[in-house]
Amino acid sequence: MPLWTWFGLKKGRATTGWPESAGSDGQEGVLGLPKLNADQCSEGAQGCTKCVTSCPSGAITLNVAENVTEDQEQHIDLDYARCVGCQLCTETCPSGAFSPSNDWAFAVRDRADLSRLARPATPDKKLEEKWQKSLAGFGRSLHIRHVDAGSCNGCESEISALLNPFYNLHRLGIFFTPSPRFADLLLVTGPVTEVMREPLLRTFEAMPEPRWVMALGTCATGGGTNGGGYACHQGLDGILPVDIWLPGCPPNPAAIIEALLVLLDRRPQQVHGGRHDA
Amino acid sequence: MPHPESSIERPIELLFETQTLRPDELLEAAQSLLDDLGDTPSAHGRMQCAYALRDAEGQLWVRYIISQGANQPWGIWSVDASSGTLPSLANVLPLLGWYEREIQDLYGITFTDHPEPYPLVLHEGFIPAKPPLQKGFDAKAEPIRGQAEPFAEANMVGSDIQRLPFGPIRADVVESAQFVFHYIGEGILHYHPRLFYKHRAMEARFEGVPISAACVLAERVSGVDSVAHVLAFSQAMEAALGWQAPLRAQAWRVVLAELERLYNHLQFFGHLAKTTTLKVAEAEGIWLEEQVKQINGRLTGSRFLRGMIVPGGLRRDLDATALIADLNALQPQIEDYLDTLANTRSYLDRLLTTGVLPRQVAFDQGATGPIERASDLDRDLRRDHGYALYPELQFAVPTATEGDADARARVRDQEIRQSLHLIRQALNKLEPGPICRKEQTIDPPMDGVMEGMGLGWAEAVRGGLIYAVHWNAKTERLTRVKIKEPSFSNWRVFPFTVNDSNMMDYAINEASFGLSVAGADR
Amino acid sequence: MTLDSLSGYAFALTALLWLAAMVGDVFGAKRVARGAISLGTLVAIFAVLEGLIGKPPTFESLTFGDWPWRFHPDAAGLWLLLPALLPAFFATATGRTQHPRGWVAGVALSLLGALGILGVQDGASLLIAWEALSLGGAIMLLAERQTEPSGNDNLFMLALLEVGSMALLLAVILLGKQLEFSSYAAQWQGLGTGLGFGVAVLWLIGFGAKLGLLPFYEWYPNAYGQGSGATGAIMSGAILNMAYFALGRALLDWLGTPPWLGSFGIVVLLLGAFTAIFAILYAFQQNDWRRLLAFSSAENAAVAVTALGAALIFRAGGQAELAGLAWLVGLLHLMGHSLAKGSLFFAADAVARATGSYHIRQSGLLRRAPFTLGIGVVFAGMSLAALPPTAGFVSEWYLFQSLFHDFTLHGDGPRIALALAGAGMALTAAIALATMVKVLGVGLLGKADARSGDAAQPALSLGARIALLVTGLAVPALAISLVFWLPQLNYAVWQTFEPPAGAASLMVHGWLLVPLSAHFAFISPLKLMIVMPLLALIPLALIWLRPRIKVRRAPIWCGGEPVQSHSGATTALAFSNAMRVFYRFVYRPTNAINRRFDADSKPYFLKTLEFDYAQAPFFGPWLFQPAVRLVQALTRRILFLQNGLMNAYLAYIGILLLLIFTFALFWTPK
Repeated sequence: MPLWTWFGLKKGRATTGWPESAGSDGQEGVLGLPKLNADQCSEGAQGCTKCVTSCPSGAITLNVAENVTEDQEQHIDLDYARCVGCQLCTETCPSGAFSPSNDWAFAVRDRADLSRLARPATPDKKLEEKWQKSLAGFGRSLHIRHVDAGSCNGCESEISALLNPFYNLHRLGIFFTPSPRFADLLLVTGPVTEVMREPLLRTFEAMPEPRWVMALGTCATGGGTNGGGYACHQGLDGILPVDIWLPGCPPNPAAIIEALLVLLDRRPQQVHGGRHDA
Repeated sequence: MPHPESSIERPIELLFETQTLRPDELLEAAQSLLDDLGDTPSAHGRMQCAYALRDAEGQLWVRYIISQGANQPWGIWSVDASSGTLPSLANVLPLLGWYEREIQDLYGITFTDHPEPYPLVLHEGFIPAKPPLQKGFDAKAEPIRGQAEPFAEANMVGSDIQRLPFGPIRADVVESAQFVFHYIGEGILHYHPRLFYKHRAMEARFEGVPISAACVLAERVSGVDSVAHVLAFSQAMEAALGWQAPLRAQAWRVVLAELERLYNHLQFFGHLAKTTTLKVAEAEGIWLEEQVKQINGRLTGSRFLRGMIVPGGLRRDLDATALIADLNALQPQIEDYLDTLANTRSYLDRLLTTGVLPRQVAFDQGATGPIERASDLDRDLRRDHGYALYPELQFAVPTATEGDADARARVRDQEIRQSLHLIRQALNKLEPGPICRKEQTIDPPMDGVMEGMGLGWAEAVRGGLIYAVHWNAKTERLTRVKIKEPSFSNWRVFPFTVNDSNMMDYAINEASFGLSVAGADR
Repeated sequence: MTLDSLSGYAFALTALLWLAAMVGDVFGAKRVARGAISLGTLVAIFAVLEGLIGKPPTFESLTFGDWPWRFHPDAAGLWLLLPALLPAFFATATGRTQHPRGWVAGVALSLLGALGILGVQDGASLLIAWEALSLGGAIMLLAERQTEPSGNDNLFMLALLEVGSMALLLAVILLGKQLEFSSYAAQWQGLGTGLGFGVAVLWLIGFGAKLGLLPFYEWYPNAYGQGSGATGAIMSGAILNMAYFALGRALLDWLGTPPWLGSFGIVVLLLGAFTAIFAILYAFQQNDWRRLLAFSSAENAAVAVTALGAALIFRAGGQAELAGLAWLVGLLHLMGHSLAKGSLFFAADAVARATGSYHIRQSGLLRRAPFTLGIGVVFAGMSLAALPPTAGFVSEWYLFQSLFHDFTLHGDGPRIALALAGAGMALTAAIALATMVKVLGVGLLGKADARSGDAAQPALSLGARIALLVTGLAVPALAISLVFWLPQLNYAVWQTFEPPAGAASLMVHGWLLVPLSAHFAFISPLKLMIVMPLLALIPLALIWLRPRIKVRRAPIWCGGEPVQSHSGATTALAFSNAMRVFYRFVYRPTNAINRRFDADSKPYFLKTLEFDYAQAPFFGPWLFQPAVRLVQALTRRILFLQNGLMNAYLAYIGILLLLIFTFALFWTPK
C-alpha cells in the first residue's frame, strides 16, 4: 500500500511564485489575443474587408465612427469582447495590421475598454468609492460560485486548473464554494443558453450582498463563436450586471488569476481603450 | 434531382457506400443489419447515428451512418423524409432512440412507434411552434424564450420513493446538467440524466460557413476535444474535396491527437482520485495534466492545441526538439504515478465492481471509446478505420472484460502508455517536407456535381467521433454538418450502470465514465 | 359491599353502565351505547379516585352456591387504571361518526374484563375476565375491519391470546383446589421447586401473551393495524395496564420468596430486555402510525416487565426497598405510557382524518393543524423518547437508577444480569428516541402537497382537540406533580414484602425525585419546569432586543431550478433504511422492485417501476408458521368429525352427557 503522503512530500514544492513573487506564470509560448495596429491598415479605406470576412465571431468592424474622416485610425475596430484568438485575421490581413501577440491578461472592469471605439462610461467617483468600500475585507478572502451557462468546457478546464498544485489558487485567498449563499463572486462561462438563463438568475438572486459578477471567456463577454441562434444569447451583457470581463477562448489560468486580482484591486488593469498596455 | 452524395473517385479505397431506402423499407433493413452484422457484441459493425438534412431544393432527408466492419467502407442509408413521418428504428436498434428524438425536435419529423417520443434537445416549455431548423439556422436570431415545464419521466409507483432533481447547477466547477434520482435513502432505483441545458446548436451553426471559420467552430464544440473535432472535420472536408494532407502533417496530426488524449486521461485520473478521496493522487494527476498543457502551449501556442489543424494539413510547421525533451522529463513521472495508483488498495476497493456495464447493453446502446473497450468490445477507429498516420504505426488497443470502474480506469491507464509510445513513433517518422497542401484554392468539382459530401472520423478521447459534411462547391460554403459525438452515445449508456446502485458509488461511477456534457449537448 | 364505600357504589354503577352500553350497541341503539360507555368511564375515574383517597372497596354480597364472590380492587391496580381511563374516556366520547356498530360493544366488553381483572379475587373469575378482555379486543377490531385480511390477523391474535389463556388455566389448576387468591401464596409454596417454577412460567406466559412478551408481540402490528387510533388507545392503555397489574400481583404478591426466585427474576428481566429490543427495532421500521405505536406499546410493556424482573431479583437478594422501588418504576412507566400512547393514537386518528390514511408521510400537518395537536404529540413523543420533563423520562431514569443498584446484591449472576439489562435498556431508549423522531418528524412535518388532503386547516373536531390537549398535557403534569403524590404509592407496594416497604416515601426528597437516597442521584421535573422558562427569557430577550437589519428575502436555492420540495421529502423508509440494512440479520429485509419496459422493444425504455418493501418477522417463520401448519394438519385429520350428519352430532351429545354424568356422580372432591 503506497504511502501517498510520502509521495507528495518527495515531490517538493510545485507551486509557482507568480504573481506575488518571482516565478513562471506557466504560459510560456502561449498566444494571446491579436494586436491591432490600426494605422497599418492601408487597404481598409480601399474596400478590403478580408479581416471582417475571415473573423468567425464577428469581432472586427470597419467604418464604425459616425463621421468617417480620412483619418485611417478611426475606421477599424477589433472588439476583444468577441475575439476568440483564432489568429485568422493575422494570416489574412495583407497589410499586417493584425499581429499575433502573447497578451492574454485582458481583464477589464468596463466592457467598453475592450474596444477602441466604444465610448467608455464616465467614471463616477461616488460609485467608485462605494465599490472600493464594498471590496474591503474581501481582498484576501474571496469565495467564488461558478456557473456554466453553456460553455464548451474549455473554460471549465482552465478554471479547474486553478486548483492544481502549479497555480494553487488557495494561496491567494480565493476559493470555490458549492453554494451561492456562501459566494461573493459569480463566475459565469458560456454564452448563456436560454434554458440556463433562469437558473443563472436564480443563482445570482441567491447570493447575499456584496456580490460581484465576472464574465469569463469570450462566450460570456460577447457571445464569441457560440452565441446567437435559437438557443443562445450573446453573452452576459444585458442579463446580469458584470463587474469584470475577461475575454479569451479560453482564458488561461494565469489570465484568470490576473482577472481575479484586478477585481480585488491587487493588480492594475492592463487594457484600456482597446489596447493592451506594454 | 440527384440526392446529395459524393461520387468522387479517390486513390484510396472507397470511403462510403450510399444506399437509398424508402421509409417502409427501413425496419426490414434495420433487422437485416442486425442479422448480417450480428447483434452479438463481437461484431465490429454497428449502426452509428442518424441525422436529417434539407437538400438544395429544400427536401428533407434522413441519413443513417453504419460501420460495416473493420477496414470496410462506411454504409449510408438515405431516406426521403418529405412525408414528415418515418418508422422508428429504436425498437430494433435502441441506440437510435436519442438520434430520432433530436431529429424530431429540430426538424419536426415524426418517428412512429418510438418508445420514448418525448422532447430531448429542446426542453419542455422552450419548444417553438415550428421546429427551429425547418427553414435554416440564423445566427442573428433571438433565442427561443420560455419557462421550464415538467418533463416526461418513467412512472414510479411506491409511496416511499424519493425524488431528487440534482442540478442543473451542481456543486463544484462542473458542467451544467440535471440528474434526477429516484431513490430510497441510499439505494438508487432509477436515474435519469437531463442534459441539453448546454445545447448551443453547434451543428446548425456550420451552415453557410467557409472552411477556415468552420475549423474554428469545430474546435469549440467540445473544448477539451478540440483536436479530435477539427481533425475529423478536416478529414471529412478532405474527403469531400479530394484533398490529401502531406506526410509530415499526418505525423503531426497523430502527435497532436495523442497529446490531447494524454492530458485528458491525466485529468481523468486526477478526478477519479478526487472522488475516491486520495488528495495527493488528485493533486498529482491534475499537476501532470497541467504539465502536458504547458507542453502544448510551448509547442503550438495554445494549451488546447487549437488553431493548428486545417483541411489539407497544418496551419504552420512545428518544432519537435523541445517536445522530445519535455516528454522525456515527464514520462517517468507519469508512469510512476500510474503505477502507484494501481497499487493503492483503498482506491481500487472503491472501483472494483462499481458501475458494471454489461457487454450487451454497451453494444445495444452504442457505447464507444474506453467505456466500451472496458466492457469487452474491441473497437477503435484508429485501428479499424485507420486515418492520419495510424496505419503505419504500431500500437495495441487495450481492453478489459469486467466493465466496472476499475476496468475503465485500467483501459485508460494503458491508453496513456500507448499514447506516449505513439507520439514517439510519429516523431521518429517526421521527415522534412510540406506541412500543408500547396494549393489553398479549392478545385472545381470534377463531374459538375455542385454538392459534395464527406465523411471524416477520429478516435477522440471519449470514443469514436464522426463528422459528416455537406458542401456546396459553388458558394464554397458548408450546407450541413453532422457531428456524431462519443459523449452523446456514452451519456445514453451511463444510466444503465446507475440503476440499482447506491449513492455513495455514484460520484465514482460518473468519474470513471469521464463524460463531457458539452460534447453531448453540442 | 359496605355502605360507607362510595367507590364501591361507583364501581357497581360503572359495571352497569358498561353492560348497558354493550347491550345497547348490540341492539343498535348507538346513542345510548356511546353515552353509556363514556359516562361509565367517567364514573370509573371517580370510583378509582375515591378508592385511592379513601379505602379500596370490597364487594361481597354475591355468592354462587356456597362459594362467595368478592370484588376488591388493589391499590396498585387502581393506580395503574387511573391514567389509562383518561384516554379511554376520550376514545369513547369523541369521534362521533367514526365508530361502526359493534365497536362500543367490544370496548364495553374489554373494559368490563379489565374491571374484572382489577378486582376479582378468585381464579375462575380471573379466567372469565381474561377471556372477556381478549374477546372484547377482537370484537373492537372486527367491528372496525378496514381491509379484508383482518379476519386472519384477528384469528392470529386470538390464537396467541388463547395460548396465554391456556397457560393461565393450567396455572390456576396447578395451584390447587382453592380458587381464592388469598390461598394462592400458601398453595404455591407447597408445590415444591419444579412445579412452582413451572407455575411462575405459566403466569408469565399467560399474562405475557397480552403484554406482548417474546414471542407474543407478533400479533400486535397486524391487529392494531386493522383498527383505528381509538382502539389502539384503549388497547394500549387500560388493557395493557391491567395485564401488567395481574402479572405483578402474581409474581410479587402470591409468589413469596422461594429459593429459585433469583433465577426466575433473571429470566423475567432478560425476557423483558430482549422483548424491548426486538419490539423497538421493528417499531422503527414501520411506515404506518398504528403499527409503529403498537410495537412501541410492546416495547414499553417489556420495559415494565424488566422493572418487574429487577424487583424479583432485588427481593431474592433481600433488598425489599429496592424491590419496592423497582415495582413502582414499572407502575409509573405504564401510567405515563398509557397517557402518552393515548395521545399519540389520537394524533394518528387526526392524521388519518386529514390525509386519508395512517401512512407515515410528510404532509405538513403540524403547521396546518390546531396547536393542540402539536402540544399533544410533542409531549407524548417526548415521554416515549424519555426526554425531560415528562413522565417517560422519570420512569426511564428510575429504571436505570434501580438497575444501577446491582452492587447491593451478592453473587455474579444477578449483577451481570442487571448490567446486561441496563445495556439493553440503553439500546432500547436510543432506538425509541429515533422512532419518536421518525413518527413525529416524518409523520407531521414537511410541506403539504396534492396528496395531503385538504390544504387548509384539516378538520379536527372540538372533542379531538380537547382529547389531544388533555392527554398531552397530562404527561408532563404527571411528572411535575409526582413529588406531591408519589408517597401515596406506598399502598401500591404489596404488603407481603418484608419489611413492609415504604419505598414510595423514600423516592421523594423535598422537591427532588430520588432512588431511595438523595446521595445516589436525583432529578426534579418540578424544578426543571420552573427554571426552564426563566432561562428561556435570556434568548428571548436577545431576540427581542436585536438590532434591526434590512433583510432581502430570496427563494430557496435548489440547483437553479424552482424547489419541488415534496417529492424529495424524507420518507419513512428513507429515515430507517440505514438501520434496516445494519440490522438485517434481525429484519431479513426484502425489496421488491418490478420494472416494466416498453413492450415492443428491448428492455431499455422504462415505463413503470413498482417498489415495495418488507421486513420478515423474527419468530414468525420458525415458530408460528410451523405451529399453524401443525394445527392445520391436525384439523385436516379430525375434519371427519364435522361431517354435517345429524346422527353424528346427536351421538357426540350423547357421549358428552354420559361423560358429564359419570364425572358428576362418581368423582367426589376430597
